[in-house]
Amino acid sequence: MMRKYKYKLLIYFILLIGVIITSTPMIYLISTSLRPNGSLYEYPPKLIPNKVTLENYRYIIFKVDFYRSFLNSFIVALCSTLLAAFISSSLAFCLARFDFPGKRLLFATIMATMIIPGMTLIIPQFELAVTFKLINKLGGLIPVYVAWVLPFSTFMIKGFIEGIPTDFDEAIYIDGGNAFTVYRTIILPLASPSIAAVSIFNFLMAWEEYPWALTVINDLEKRTLPITISGFFGQHNFTQWGYVFAMSVISLLPVIITFLFFQQYFVSGLSSGAIK
Amino acid sequence: MSHDYQILPRRKKKQIKKINFQLIFLLIPGLIVFGLFTIYPIVKLFVMSFFDWQIGFEQKSIFVGLKNYINVFNDPIFRKAISNTLIYALVTVPSQIIIGLLVAVLIHSIKRFKITFRVLYYLPVITSWVIVALVFKYIFNNEGFLNYVITDLLHLTTNYIPWLDQPSTGMFVAQLLGIWKGIGWNMVIFLAALQGVPLELYEAASIDGGGKFKQFFYITLPSIKNTILFAVVMLSIGAFNVFTSIQLMTGGHPAHQTEVALTWMYYKAFEARDFGYAAALSYIIAMIITMITLSQFKYFRKFK
Amino acid sequence: MCKKSFSIRVLLLSLIFISLFASFGISANEQVTINFWHHYNAQSPENEKLINLIIPAFEKQYPHIKVKAIPHEWDQLHKKILVSTSSNQLPDVARADIAWLPEFQKLNILVPLNKEMGDFSAVAHRLLDGPMATAKVKGDYYGLALNTNTKILFYNKDLFSRAGVKVPKTMDEFFSAARKLSKKSGRQIWGYAEPALAGWNICPFIWSNGGDITDPEYKVASGFLNSEKNIEIIQKLADLYRDGAMTGFNKGAIPLTDGYALGRYGMIIEGPWKFAELENSYPQFKPATAPMPAGKGGSAQVLGGEDIVMFKTAKKEAAWEFMKFMTSEYAQIEMAKVGQIPVNKVAIDSSIIKNNKNMLPFLEAIQTAKPRPPVSTWPEIDKELTYAVTLSILGEKSVKESLDEAAKKIDILLAQQ
Repeated sequence: MMRKYKYKLLIYFILLIGVIITSTPMIYLISTSLRPNGSLYEYPPKLIPNKVTLENYRYIIFKVDFYRSFLNSFIVALCSTLLAAFISSSLAFCLARFDFPGKRLLFATIMATMIIPGMTLIIPQFELAVTFKLINKLGGLIPVYVAWVLPFSTFMIKGFIEGIPTDFDEAIYIDGGNAFTVYRTIILPLASPSIAAVSIFNFLMAWEEYPWALTVINDLEKRTLPITISGFFGQHNFTQWGYVFAMSVISLLPVIITFLFFQQYFVSGLSSGAIK
Repeated sequence: MSHDYQILPRRKKKQIKKINFQLIFLLIPGLIVFGLFTIYPIVKLFVMSFFDWQIGFEQKSIFVGLKNYINVFNDPIFRKAISNTLIYALVTVPSQIIIGLLVAVLIHSIKRFKITFRVLYYLPVITSWVIVALVFKYIFNNEGFLNYVITDLLHLTTNYIPWLDQPSTGMFVAQLLGIWKGIGWNMVIFLAALQGVPLELYEAASIDGGGKFKQFFYITLPSIKNTILFAVVMLSIGAFNVFTSIQLMTGGHPAHQTEVALTWMYYKAFEARDFGYAAALSYIIAMIITMITLSQFKYFRKFK
Repeated sequence: MCKKSFSIRVLLLSLIFISLFASFGISANEQVTINFWHHYNAQSPENEKLINLIIPAFEKQYPHIKVKAIPHEWDQLHKKILVSTSSNQLPDVARADIAWLPEFQKLNILVPLNKEMGDFSAVAHRLLDGPMATAKVKGDYYGLALNTNTKILFYNKDLFSRAGVKVPKTMDEFFSAARKLSKKSGRQIWGYAEPALAGWNICPFIWSNGGDITDPEYKVASGFLNSEKNIEIIQKLADLYRDGAMTGFNKGAIPLTDGYALGRYGMIIEGPWKFAELENSYPQFKPATAPMPAGKGGSAQVLGGEDIVMFKTAKKEAAWEFMKFMTSEYAQIEMAKVGQIPVNKVAIDSSIIKNNKNMLPFLEAIQTAKPRPPVSTWPEIDKELTYAVTLSILGEKSVKESLDEAAKKIDILLAQQ
């Protein structure tokens, strides 16, 4: 009995050590953001600062148009997520429930494009953005983000819809409903766990996307968070880490809060694809 | 079984007759986005890879045949970038799976604080690449926290290690970041898989007198084989997607020695504006990752 | 319940679209807005001056014009301009490095000011001839000189006196001083730090050693870039790096300003903006300067500076007013206070400049500074040069081998112009 108790304690101990190692970078991030900007190259470097100050936060909130980037990222991520949720769920609904010519080919193509890194298509997508005059517009980010997440979202939601019994659909059709009714009253609500799960990932992806936004957006007031944060690295080798990390902390907050609220969705969304 | 068999054709018949135009309406948004922003770019990319491509309205693109592909294969930096990417995959994929599985098994075996640990280990997954790349850059810079710890506190070396300055250590930091950020994802999918392993199997094994390790190798691992395959495939694809961490930490420096496939593609496209070369390179990257994925499926099928 | 959440989503979506369109609507007003792209560092004193003083003063004088200033990093700006050329999204006005002008001219994106602006010669007459010459490509003027600069040696007095080293006057003294200043164990000290290995950084060494990148006509690099003299000086830098006496260009290195002020870098070779930067973040630190050490070829420095250019797609009248304002006495003197050497004739003779101790050594050095090759393919040549020099200094390849290879590639690039 004693041995078993010790054994359990050891497991907790190992897990705790692991947590400490994995969270060190985040602790360092937060502590640096709370340090006066000048003492960043102080010696010895400290994990916990001697003097805690909010001067970095004050600077980025009041002196830089940081909230603008925050808003931009939020709008882009939300629009992309909602669009992707509607488009991929309706596509998944068709693939899961109906037969139509070219269906197998369409599904095979969607599967195949899941493999290809979205970034390899960035050049023709850039040319498309030029043609549709989407350069330097927030609206230019959304279709590409939706396109990048569409294959995976469709695949995941289709798998989930196939698990929903068709009896409900039957009932609607017998009552004189059509495909829209089924989609709206059966599929959307019943598939919502998987839609929510992929949406969380899609939101994260759009929230943190870097290369496409860097390529397309020029204006300061249209920059998204990752561009604003990484853009703090100036010429003449002059970086103000305190500001960079203060912005980082603020931009992480909504993500972490969302995660804490919906963490069971994260898990179910991930595992439904993995276990099959 | 026979019940299922009866329902399926009846449903199909009905729907095909009734719902054609509605189906089209449901399909169209997806088809437009997928066709315009994914399929068309794939085709366009293929065309571009045979041209000295110019973007713009007054520019003329010249057909150059296979020249872009020849240039790519003759380029020492391409070879460096691909080998860096492959090494990145070979290092990060197994490490993430092993550590993730270990953490999952440990969390699975405890009763209290399960969710707390799950949340804490998952946090790195949801932090953005830009931010963690900058944090790692700060920790690993020559004056950073890590050098202070290993030289001045632990006295492991007398000199600071220039982590980000040397190609090998620069890639190492990127790999470490990849592993650190990926453990949580693996932990969660393995945790779900472990919950799916029937308890009877373990009970049977403990009656037979197998130890914990034996149980793990003879019962747990075979039961979660499919999840491991899934993880291997997804992580390999992910390894070829690595971009932001390298771009922000080393930027390919020094002398393109820490370039990976996508950073080199991006450089060629938007720094050197050699769009034809970059298009050919994109195709080659896509081919390599497709081949790797297919061979992984084949390999695992053999074990089934 | 389910229906409710569905309609809430729809509502949200429409709200977002409405707000999106609304924000697009607000940005379109009757004023003329011109976009000004520059590479003053977003957090620098220069940028603060531009945003808080100069642009407001301009907008007060020309109420119908609004200036939107957009900072980019130096190499990011170059990249953005080229990519925007492809997408027809160029700004109206940009502050362009003088080394970029030939390339932009060849891309046919700049306005030849002497042909299109009636009062051009009057405006050009207000500016110094030397800097104005950098805006002249193939007989036409494609910009106005905005500021000029060059680099000199900054050294850390404390480190020098502690190591008992004299300020170097010759290249040999420079190399030996860098070694003596260095401390290799513990908290390392490097004698010399260079933030990059591009032409801007390497040319002074090559020229000071009597070498060159190309022939005087800018036709060929083979036989010049890979000459004995160049191999010798690059090898010296490589040895310096190997001995742990040089750093800065690597990604993990301490940023130049911090390293210099904190006594980790003994010497840096930098421009006049460094004073304002140091003043800003290390007010107690006292920088000291000296002329660039002389080698076999004398004390040669690279001529830097920026021109303000107008793109063909610009709103020309408003853009021209802004360009004139930026080169006016008022704007030039204000920018000089944060380290931008003026090119306006009145401004440079003003007492503010004459009494500025920090500026004087630069004014001296500019007399002999040399421009980088004014060819349209220079940015690409610069990339090849950087690649070759980096390989040599890291010791990945022999200096001769990498310079030979670079010379061949640069020959092709020179033939393309």
